[in-house]
Amino acid sequence: MSNGVGEGGRAQSREKRKLFQANDFAYAIARMAVAQICESVEVNVYQESQTTREGLRFSSFQESTLDKLASVAVEYVQSIGKTAQLYANVAGRVEGNSLDVVKALEDLGSGVGFAGVSDTDRCLADSSVVKDVIRYTGEAEEMPFVYALPRFPVNKEKRLAPSFYEVGVDPPDEHIPVWLPAFPGTKSCNLSEEANAVAIEGEVQHSFNGGGRSEVLQSPNDVRKSTEEVEGNPFLTAPLRFVKKEVSPLFRPLELSIKHFPDKHISNHRRIPVLESSTPSDDINKENGLAESEDGEKKDGARPQQTLLRFKIGTLKRPSCLAIKRSVQEQGWFQEGGDKREKKLGTERIDLGTVDSE
Amino acid sequence: MNHGQQSGEAKHEDDAALTEFLASLMDYTPTIPDDLVEHYLAKSGFQCPDVRLIRLVAVATQKFVADVASDALQHCRARPAPVVKDKKQQKDKRLVLTMEDLSKALREVNNSSSLSSCF
Repeated sequence: MSNGVGEGGRAQSREKRKLFQANDFAYAIARMAVAQICESVEVNVYQESQTTREGLRFSSFQESTLDKLASVAVEYVQSIGKTAQLYANVAGRVEGNSLDVVKALEDLGSGVGFAGVSDTDRCLADSSVVKDVIRYTGEAEEMPFVYALPRFPVNKEKRLAPSFYEVGVDPPDEHIPVWLPAFPGTKSCNLSEEANAVAIEGEVQHSFNGGGRSEVLQSPNDVRKSTEEVEGNPFLTAPLRFVKKEVSPLFRPLELSIKHFPDKHISNHRRIPVLESSTPSDDINKENGLAESEDGEKKDGARPQQTLLRFKIGTLKRPSCLAIKRSVQEQGWFQEGGDKREKKLGTERIDLGTVDSE
Repeated sequence: MNHGQQSGEAKHEDDAALTEFLASLMDYTPTIPDDLVEHYLAKSGFQCPDVRLIRLVAVATQKFVADVASDALQHCRARPAPVVKDKKQQKDKRLVLTMEDLSKALREVNNSSSLSSCF
């Protein structure tokens, strides 16, 4: 039994610790703010009869004390919030106003007491608690928080679900008033999105059926027009299919360049990836015996098949390394006698290796 | 009747004073950041879009903390000084906020029922 009680107490304390550790950021800021306030507190502000005019201030804090004071301050804020909300709810309101806050401050200050607390027929606006606060703001130096804070994760504007009236849709049944929030399914913007999607689909079909080049060139303009009509939602702009259509004219010059060759080659090499486009043209050159073509620099034509691979994976670094090695070899740095021969063999092997890898 | 009118005017003035104070809070920046106060107020269930009210709570909290701290400072000052070894040390009396002074200061506020849970 006693164990149970002990565990319960421990669990409670752990829960409380978790409560503060859960939002460590806010609590850390509260600590800093409290420390700053404590730092600014001077004795001579409240005691004019001091012999020395220089004010006495706290020079340091005990860590636990600061923690405690910060938690008390946080608790104070939360009690104000709770009490003010209580008074607002008692008065039949959802949101509290200034008088609720003043009443909450009076409630919290009733422990210490304030002037006029016994007067039952007093105005809340005349509350001495507020007067004390006003006096405090006049006396204490205005000292903003030392750091600029990032945005807090506070939901400032709680957007309610839009009503039927805001959505612009009639409620499905007559007994549902217009001012009630709309059902999750009913969204007016969805309809327009669907309509736009259908229109774009239709255009796509049209451009595909036409198949001509002029049609293809016209389609992007159409897309632009349609996106202008959509206005706003960037997610409704050109679908991927149109992008593909735009890319296809880029292959045309390649095909046109091969066009003067016989038809069978075109049919063979029509769908050539860009990277491999050099060798087929070489092959074509070889087969047709055309020494001069548009690729003039590949006129020798006797380049082995590996050159293609070298073009693909060869980096600039390797040749430069080789060059450096050769220069080192030529100059004979770090090499003496038989060592030199070995190194030479090694470099040759490296050369072979690189060629193999190429 | 006359008295009632007078009191009504007085109340009107008080109301104006409160409104004026709330308006002046727009230019006053409390040490406790608005976002922090708003966060904890929202956690306690108090919704309020008005910055002035949040600042009112912030200023009230700041005053509360400052009062407690000044009380603790008084206690700290009034405590008999420890045995002094040097004369220099006597002059440089460093004030440290300790748990002992804080608990004394908080005991004065302890009567408040809603806050007693955390002391």
